[in-house]
Amino acid sequence: MEKAKKRNISISGSGTAAGGEYDQVKVNGSAHINSDIECEIFKCNGSAHIEGNIKTATAKVNGSSHVEGNMEAREMIINGSTDIDGNLTSSEVKIQGSSTIKGDLKGKEINVRGTASITGNVSSDEIDVKGQVIIGGDCEAESFLARGHFKINGLLNAGNIDIELLRLCEAKEIGGENISVKRNLDFSGFKKILKFFMGQEKDQLTAEVIEGDHVSLEYTHAKVVRGNTIEIGPGCVIDRIEYKQSLELDENAKIGTQEKI
Amino acid sequence: MEKLISKKDLLEAANISYGQLYRWKRKNLIPENWFIRKSTFTGQETFFPKEEILQRIEKIKNLKDDLSLDELADMFSPSPTITSLSADELVKRNIVSSTAIEMYNTHHGNTATFSFDQLLTLYLLDTLLQTGEMNRSEGMELLHFLQQHANEITGQESELIFIRKMGVSFFILTPEPAKLLVESQTKIIAHYKLNKYIEELKLKLS
Repeated sequence: MEKAKKRNISISGSGTAAGGEYDQVKVNGSAHINSDIECEIFKCNGSAHIEGNIKTATAKVNGSSHVEGNMEAREMIINGSTDIDGNLTSSEVKIQGSSTIKGDLKGKEINVRGTASITGNVSSDEIDVKGQVIIGGDCEAESFLARGHFKINGLLNAGNIDIELLRLCEAKEIGGENISVKRNLDFSGFKKILKFFMGQEKDQLTAEVIEGDHVSLEYTHAKVVRGNTIEIGPGCVIDRIEYKQSLELDENAKIGTQEKI
Repeated sequence: MEKLISKKDLLEAANISYGQLYRWKRKNLIPENWFIRKSTFTGQETFFPKEEILQRIEKIKNLKDDLSLDELADMFSPSPTITSLSADELVKRNIVSSTAIEMYNTHHGNTATFSFDQLLTLYLLDTLLQTGEMNRSEGMELLHFLQQHANEITGQESELIFIRKMGVSFFILTPEPAKLLVESQTKIIAHYKLNKYIEELKLKLS
C-alpha cells in the first residue's frame, strides 16, 4: 500500500488545528493544537499551545510554546521559551532562551545557554551549561560541563565533571571519576556587569558529599569529600576528608578532619 | 534484617573505585533501590544490601570484558529481552528439562516456540521441579498461577514464594522485598527473587 503523503499545516495569525500526523507544522501567529501531534518539522515563531504529546524530528521554537504532554524530538532548539508539562526526550537539545520541564529530560547532547528548570531527573551523554540550570531530581551524564549557576537537588553523577564557578552552585551529592571545580578567573566586562546586577554574591559550590577518583576543588563547601587523589585549593571549607592515595591542601583551606584509608 | 555494607567497605571488599561504582550506577547496572542512605557520625553514608551487591559486582567484573556495559544493563534489567526459542532447542541446549516442557504443553496446549515470558515460567517450573520439593500437580497449579498474573511478573522486581502447611501448598507473588512471617508448622519451600532467575535465564540464552 502506498503511504499517503503527509500534509503541512501553517498557521499565520491565530488558529486552531486538530492533532494528527503532518509533515511540517509552522506557526507564525498563535496556534492551539487540540490533541497529540506527530510531524517531521515543528517550527514556532509566535506562540503555540499543544494540548497533547508532540513527536517530531526537528523542533525550533523562536517564540513561546507550551506542551501539556510529553515531547519527543530528535533535534530541538529553543530560542524563546518552552514549557513542557511532561517529559522531554531529544538527542540534541539546545536551550538558548528559557525552558521549564515538569517531567524528566533525556538526551544525548544537552546544551544550555539560557535558563532551564527541570523538575524531574536529567540524563544525557553530554551536558554543557553556560547559563543557569535548576534540577529537582538527579543529574546523570558522561560529561558535565558548567560555567554558570546550577542547583541540583539530588545526585550529580558524571564521568567527568568540570565546573567553573560563577555565583552560587549547589548539589546535594556529587560523584564520578574526575571532578574539577575552579573559580572563574575571567574578569571580563560581562562578568563585572553581571556582578553589578546580581550583587556581590560569592562564587561558591556547596555540596554535602563529593566522591570521586580524582577530585580537585576550589571555593567549595562540603561536609565530606572522599577520593583516591584529592587536591584542595583556596577557599574550601570541608568538614571531613577521606583519601586513599594522596592529599594536597592549600594553606587557605579550612579542613575539619582528614584520614587516609 | 538484611545485612548491609557501607560504601567504603564495599569499595575495599570488591576492590573498585568510586568512579567505577558511579559509572555502573549511571549505566543502571546497580538498581537505585540498593542505595540506602543513612546518617552516621561522619555525616550521610550510603549502604548496600551486602550479599546482593557483592554478587552483582562480581558478575559485572567477570562479564565486562566480554559484554558492553549496555548489554550488561540489559541482562540485569527486569524487563524481558526479545527472544523466542523452540522446544527442541530448549532441551538441546539444556535450558529446561523435557518434563517441564511436557507439563507446560499439557496446561497451555502445544507450544512450538516460547517467548521470553513463557521461557521464564518454564524455567521457574523446571527449577522448582528439579529441587524435588514440588510435585507435578503443584507444578500445574504454578503454571496456572503464573499465567493469571503474567502482567505482574515482567518488568518488575517481584518474588515468588512457595509455602506448605500440612500438605496444603500455596504460591505467593509479591513485589520485592518481601518480609514474610509464617507460623511454626508452615514451611517455606522456596523463596525466589524473580530478578535473579531472569538474569540466569538471560545468561543461559545468550
